[in-house]
Amino acid sequence: MMGPGTAWYLSVAGFLFAVGSLGVLLRRNPLIVLLSLEIMLNGANLALITFARHLDNGDGQIFALAVMAVAASEVVVGLGLIVALNRKRVPLDVDRLSSLRG
Amino acid sequence: MTVAAYGAWICLLSPLAAAGLITLAGGRLSRRGSGYLASLACFVAFGGALTTFISLLGRSGSQRTAVSTAWTWISGGSYRSGFEVMIDPLSVFMMLVVAGVGALIVAYSIGYMDGDDEERRYFAYMSLFVFSMLLLVQGGNLLLLLAGWGMVGLSSYLLIGFWHDRPSAIAAAKKAFVMNAIGDATMALAFFLLIKKAGSLDFGILGGEYSSTVANLVALGLLGGAVAKSAQLPLQTWLPDAMEGPTPVSALIHAATMVTAGVYLIVRTHAIFEQAPKVADLAAGLGAGTLLLAGLIALVQVDIKRVIAYSTMSQIGYMFLGVGLGAYANGMFHLMTHAFFKALLFMAAGIVIHALAAEQDIRKMGGLRRLMPRTYLAFLIGSLALVGIFPFAGFFSKDSILAAAMDHGAYGYILWVAGLAGTFLTGLYTFRLLFLVFWGEPSPFVREHFHALKPDVPGVSLAAPVAVLAVLSVIGGWIQWAPLWHPVETWLQTVAEPTVSPTSWQEAVSSILALLLGLGGISLAFLYYGARRLAVPRFAFPQRVLEHKFYFDELYDALFYRPAVWSAKTLHRWIEGPLISDSARELGDDARDLGGLVSHLQTGLLRTYALAIASSVAVLAIVFVAVK
Repeated sequence: MMGPGTAWYLSVAGFLFAVGSLGVLLRRNPLIVLLSLEIMLNGANLALITFARHLDNGDGQIFALAVMAVAASEVVVGLGLIVALNRKRVPLDVDRLSSLRG
Repeated sequence: MTVAAYGAWICLLSPLAAAGLITLAGGRLSRRGSGYLASLACFVAFGGALTTFISLLGRSGSQRTAVSTAWTWISGGSYRSGFEVMIDPLSVFMMLVVAGVGALIVAYSIGYMDGDDEERRYFAYMSLFVFSMLLLVQGGNLLLLLAGWGMVGLSSYLLIGFWHDRPSAIAAAKKAFVMNAIGDATMALAFFLLIKKAGSLDFGILGGEYSSTVANLVALGLLGGAVAKSAQLPLQTWLPDAMEGPTPVSALIHAATMVTAGVYLIVRTHAIFEQAPKVADLAAGLGAGTLLLAGLIALVQVDIKRVIAYSTMSQIGYMFLGVGLGAYANGMFHLMTHAFFKALLFMAAGIVIHALAAEQDIRKMGGLRRLMPRTYLAFLIGSLALVGIFPFAGFFSKDSILAAAMDHGAYGYILWVAGLAGTFLTGLYTFRLLFLVFWGEPSPFVREHFHALKPDVPGVSLAAPVAVLAVLSVIGGWIQWAPLWHPVETWLQTVAEPTVSPTSWQEAVSSILALLLGLGGISLAFLYYGARRLAVPRFAFPQRVLEHKFYFDELYDALFYRPAVWSAKTLHRWIEGPLISDSARELGDDARDLGGLVSHLQTGLLRTYALAIASSVAVLAIVFVAVK
């Protein structure tokens, strides 16, 4: 097997996931939050594919494809919501969308 | 299936079909159409019973018992009960009486209920009632008998409370239902015991050998059911109140269905009563007590239907006396003749009530003899049959019960005297009613309200069944005159062999004494109420006791109702209120407060939730790695 070892791939996947989660936690613009979510999902996908190759088993790749499909749909819904919010002139700030407070 | 089985199933199911059709058709069926349908179904049932009867006649005595099973109804463990009908001389006898007299009464209802707001509901209930009673007498095992038993209770509840806008009718219906439920419960207990001991509820197991305790307990349970359904001491109080229902309902309850069920039950389960002679004696004693008590109360009643109701209690007392002593055929024979003349009396009284704008108080009546001579004749025939005057139906059936009592030792003689005293009372109260209603001058009330029957559909439907029953009340008794000929006894012999056999002189003495005492009662009634030669004596205290029906209602009120209400109120005040209601409220409050506290965790900030999830996952991951 050529190229870097499995550990390297996993490190990149973990790094992507960490960057994504920091983005979700710290950024206030919902657009960026969605973008960060995508990065997290891609991190997870990379880990899935890595393991698929490591174990020489195709299941992980199929999982990754499924995750992509879900991610695409999620983006559609998320962007739709953001456009709807923007139309109503609601400020695009996740900290101010807090009407579900107990 | 044999012809007999077809007849039996048609007899059982056609009233049920009518009840279902009337219910489902609703407004698509005209009001009178529902009456025609119900009557037709009951006559078809009678035809089925007749078919079965004729096909059984063609068989020899031992071949006449058969069980026709439709399917296995209940099975659990080793227990099994089929949905099956019993075809034997006893059930056919009851089928003929129930379907025959029932059909006449339903046909009479077409006229009596004409113009009522809810005729369809009425006829659906009536059909259901006839079906329930047929199920009771045809059920091929004790479980089906109990099912019919309960359904008779239900349909009587529905019919007694038919006029549901009258509070008194609703109260009467509830009373009848509760009283009957007591009997249902004791019967069910007896059946549980039988299942435990014999593992089955077929009629055949009743003849098995049981220890005397078991036999006594089972017989007591069955007697409890019989006493409740047949309105005998001490569960008799529901019957007079049941007069709140329409008059044909009273006729149906009293003549063809319901109250005769207790007598049927004892005859059907006679094997167990023969193993428990003390309980059988108790049944006879209760019958004797009831016939005297009811006869006395009937003397002071002023409602035309209640007088007849008490006379029913009294006559059922005779039947209990007979079957308790083991004179099964005599009891069943009296059941049949009683069905004829009691239905006749109720339906004639119904015509009187109908003609007087629903008035039932006999103090307002009088002089109806000239206004409605044919009704008078029918009522007279019914009364003579009730008192047991030769050659009317009651003479042949009642006297042989009394003769049977003479064949039962010293205890039997006590019952015999009670029965004879009852004959005198019967003559007195029956003809008091007849003279007060029909003799004398028409009262102002009668002159104002009387309107005669018209020869239209309602009028004919009222008159025709009364005419048929009047004929039956005359000739119905001739089919058996112990000891000269006794086809009824021979017919029922394979099911229930009598345990007493009175001699000819006992029959003769009983007949003559009963006839004389009955005539004596009639003469006394004539002197007091007919010719009015004597002033009616007034005794304040006994009269008050009788008017209060020996204070049974008051007694039960004080013994059961008021303690129940008191304990319910006390428990509510001291247990339910402070303990249950308040603690439930406290629990609710606490849950809400706790929810209020927890709700502070909901910040509404997306990132808080994300952080919570992320940190939880991190903690879980650390724990996972540490444990690994």
